[in-house]
Amino acid sequence: MKAILCVVLAGATLLPAQSTKTPDLTGVWSPFTGGRGGGSDPKINPPAAGQLVLKPEYAKPYEARRAAEAEATKRGEQLATSGAQCIPYGVPTMMSVAVYPVEMIQTAKQVTIISEAFSEVRRVYLDRPQAPLEDVAPGYYGRSVGKWDGDTLVVDTIGIKPSVNGYRGMPHSEQMRITERFRLLTPDVMHDQITIDDPVVLEKPMVYTLAYKRVPNYEMVEFVCDNNREYVDEKGVVRMKVKER
Amino acid sequence: MKSRLLNVLAAAIALAIPVLAHHSFTMFDTTKQITITGTVSEFQWTNPHSYIEIDVPDESGALKHWSIEMGSPSILQQSGWKFSSLKKGDKTTLVINPLKTGLAGGFLNTATLPNGKILGNGPGRGPAK
Repeated sequence: MKAILCVVLAGATLLPAQSTKTPDLTGVWSPFTGGRGGGSDPKINPPAAGQLVLKPEYAKPYEARRAAEAEATKRGEQLATSGAQCIPYGVPTMMSVAVYPVEMIQTAKQVTIISEAFSEVRRVYLDRPQAPLEDVAPGYYGRSVGKWDGDTLVVDTIGIKPSVNGYRGMPHSEQMRITERFRLLTPDVMHDQITIDDPVVLEKPMVYTLAYKRVPNYEMVEFVCDNNREYVDEKGVVRMKVKER
Repeated sequence: MKSRLLNVLAAAIALAIPVLAHHSFTMFDTTKQITITGTVSEFQWTNPHSYIEIDVPDESGALKHWSIEMGSPSILQQSGWKFSSLKKGDKTTLVINPLKTGLAGGFLNTATLPNGKILGNGPGRGPAK
């Protein structure tokens, strides 16, 4: 068998890439515990999230905000969030919005990621280096470049503006750097390990892992936020507009 | 048993938590369910939420208008909804959680369509798909 293989290979042009074939992440991926993927399977569950450790000057206002949110919930109210105002989530939060799936489109030079919620789009360039931070205009998606490390796509993102909501509302500076490791555990289960590093705000990098299941043949649903009937009142509380007859 | 349950809860909390798509359900009184029957004036198949606008007659026959919030189209289609499931003039019965403010609005639990089919409001809310 080995001899036959050698003969066959001898006549072909060998491409180095063929020996370490990169996985294809193309497809629609639903959050593991979301409605489409069914229940979670302990064998392929993501590891527990790391601890969020903020520097003291950032921890105080963060905890105060969390406490105010909890108090409001007890009163039966919700404090304003950017999501309630239809402001996009940006990177990395757009990767885990409720039960909404993400679509990945992989080519040799680029991976495009589309989140169904709010139709957010991010582009990961595979064929060029990262730009210096001072050359990236701060935005919701920043600039992402990726490279394959064996079977894992490693994505580096910089240039997320501080006003963009961080993971669980965490604050961040313009120096935030996000490293994601996308890996297929099985052909139909993908993990995205997200490491958030921010020397200004964080005492240590925050690490958490998102898990997805492939949803074959799913057609992404349009999501244009043109009928937002939730508004924020003068006290900063989210209310719903009812229609008069 | 209790400690095992607590461990499970702790594990669940430690997992990465997805953000809410739009807003929490705090504004609705989820301890209360009311049933309203009326005529659809508009079915809005929109984002971030769909809505059923409905005129509901009271005992004297006077009409009261209600705005009923639903999930987004993506969520609703998992419960069997389509953009054409309801139209103006349809008679329907809705089970809702009312707004805590007392205004005539609420969050859909189930809807009985004119063809008798009962639909929920996304996975885990109302009848299984």
